[in-house]
Amino acid sequence: MSKIQEIQEMVSKGKTKVVAGLVQEALDEGKQPKEILDAMIESMGVVGDKFSAGEIFVPEMLIAAKAMSKGVDVLKPLLAGDSSVSLGTCVIGTVAGDLHDIGKNLVSMMLESSGFTIVDLGVDVPADKFVEAAKENNAVLAACSGLLTTTMPALKQTSLALKDAGFKVMVGGAPVTPEYAAECKADGYAPDAGGAVTKAKELVKA
Amino acid sequence: MLTIRQNLLETIKGGNPDRFVKQFEFMELIYECPMGSFPGPGETIVNDWGITFTWPEGQVGGFPIHDEEHIVLKDITKWKEQVKIPPIVKDDAAWAPAVEHANKIDRSEKFVTAFVAPGLFEMTHHLMSMENALMAYYEDPDKMHELIEALCERELEYAAEVIKRIKPDCLFHHDDWGGQKSTFISPEMFEEFYLPYYKKIYKFYKDNGVEVAVHHSDSYAASFVPFMIEMGVDIWQGVMTTNNTPELVKKYGGQMSFMGDIDSGVVDFPGWNREIIDREVERACKNNGKLYFIPCLTQGGDYGSFPGVYEETSKSIDEMSKKMF
Repeated sequence: MSKIQEIQEMVSKGKTKVVAGLVQEALDEGKQPKEILDAMIESMGVVGDKFSAGEIFVPEMLIAAKAMSKGVDVLKPLLAGDSSVSLGTCVIGTVAGDLHDIGKNLVSMMLESSGFTIVDLGVDVPADKFVEAAKENNAVLAACSGLLTTTMPALKQTSLALKDAGFKVMVGGAPVTPEYAAECKADGYAPDAGGAVTKAKELVKA
Repeated sequence: MLTIRQNLLETIKGGNPDRFVKQFEFMELIYECPMGSFPGPGETIVNDWGITFTWPEGQVGGFPIHDEEHIVLKDITKWKEQVKIPPIVKDDAAWAPAVEHANKIDRSEKFVTAFVAPGLFEMTHHLMSMENALMAYYEDPDKMHELIEALCERELEYAAEVIKRIKPDCLFHHDDWGGQKSTFISPEMFEEFYLPYYKKIYKFYKDNGVEVAVHHSDSYAASFVPFMIEMGVDIWQGVMTTNNTPELVKKYGGQMSFMGDIDSGVVDFPGWNREIIDREVERACKNNGKLYFIPCLTQGGDYGSFPGVYEETSKSIDEMSKKMF
C-alpha cells in the first residue's frame, strides 16, 4: 500500500492520531502537498457517500473529518497562497430564530473537507448578517440551515436576500424539501451532509 | 366501557380494547417532581449541571448553548473535574407538591407517571456538545463509559427518590436517539455504550412498582427496537412515520407497543388545521390497527406547540375510535 493510500485509509477510519504523521512522512518522501490534499478530499468523498447511503453514522463522519483536519494542519503552511487548492469561500449558518447547529456543523465540516474555505456564522443568524458576510468574504456560496417548521419563513427570507445580493445559495434542514428549496429560490438542496458536498461542488463549477 | 387504564393494558397486551388509547390520556405526569430546571419560552437559564439553556421567544423548544464559553465538559479525559454532578433533591418540602398531586390520582383510571429527562445520551451532548460527544466514543471510549456510568448512577439515585415519594406505576423517560431518518449512532455503538445502563435503569423502575415503561425518542430508531425490548421498554412514544410504524407493529407487537405515527412537524405548525390532523390520524389508525399502537403526536408530552393542536388531535382520535371499534 502506498503512503497516499495509507493516508486515505486512516482518514476514512478516523485515525486522528496517525494522519498528521503519515502526511509528514508522505511529504518527506517527496509527495506534493496538493496531491496529498486531493487524496484526503477523495477519501472524505467516499465517507460522505457512505453516510448518505446509511452505511456509517454521524460519529464515523465526524471523526474522519477530524482526522483529515489533522493532516490539513500539516499541509497548510505549504499550501498558503496556492489559490488552486480552494473551491472558494462558503458562508454557512443556521437562520434567525433557530439554534440547531448539528446539521449545520456536519455540512460545514464536510464542505471544508471537500476543499471549501468555510466562514461559519453560527446559529440564529439574521438574513442581513448572511448577506454582509457573503460580501465581505467574496463568497462563492452561501449555505443556510433551518431545523424548525417555525423558522422556515426565516430560511426563505435569508435565501431570497442572498439571491437578491447575487450569491449562490444552498438550503437544508429536516423540514426542507426540494419543493420548499425551490420556493426559497435556492440554487441547491441536499438531504444530508454527504449530498451537500456533491451539490455544492456542482454549484460552484456551474 | 373499560377504564383508561384497562384500555391501555388491553391495547399493549393484545387483548380487547374498546377504543384507541388517546395520546397521553393514561399518564398522569407528575411534573412537580424536583428533577431539574428547564427554561420557559423567552428564557435563558443555567441548570444544576451548569449547562446554559435558552428558549428563543416564539420558537418551539429550548436548546443548550455550546460555544467555547458555555460548554461544561471541554475535555472528556477530565470529566471528573469538569462535571459537577448535582445532588438529588431529598427534602420533603421540595417533593410535597409532587406527592400531593400523585395522591389525588385515581390509579384505577390513570397511571401515576414519573417523568425523566434528559436521558443518558442527551446528557452527554448537553454537557459536551453533540460533535465532541460523538467523537469521544472513538477517541476516549473508556472515559465515555465512565461518564455514562456516572450519569446512570445518578439516574438510579433519582429513581429511588421518585419511587419513594410518588410510587409511580408508569415511567415516561426521554432520550432522543436520532434525527428523522437515522439514529445518531450505530446500533453497535448503542449496544456497547447505552444498552447495559438502560437495562439497569428500566429494571430498577420495574422492580419497584412501575408497570409500564414508556420511552420517548421522536426520531428514527427502528433499528434500536430490539434493544428497547431488551431494556424493558413497553411503549416507544414518538415513533415517527419514517420508521414505517405499521411494519414495526406487525413485527414487534406483543413484545412492545408504538405510540405516535402522527408527525408533529406535519400537523403542529402555525398554519395548522383540523383537516390535516384528520388526514394524519385516519392514516395512522387505519395503517397501524387497534393493537400495540397508540395514535399520538410525536412530540414528547401531553401538549402541542401551537394552541389547539393536541386537543383537536384527541378529538380526531375519538372519531376514529367510533368508526373502527
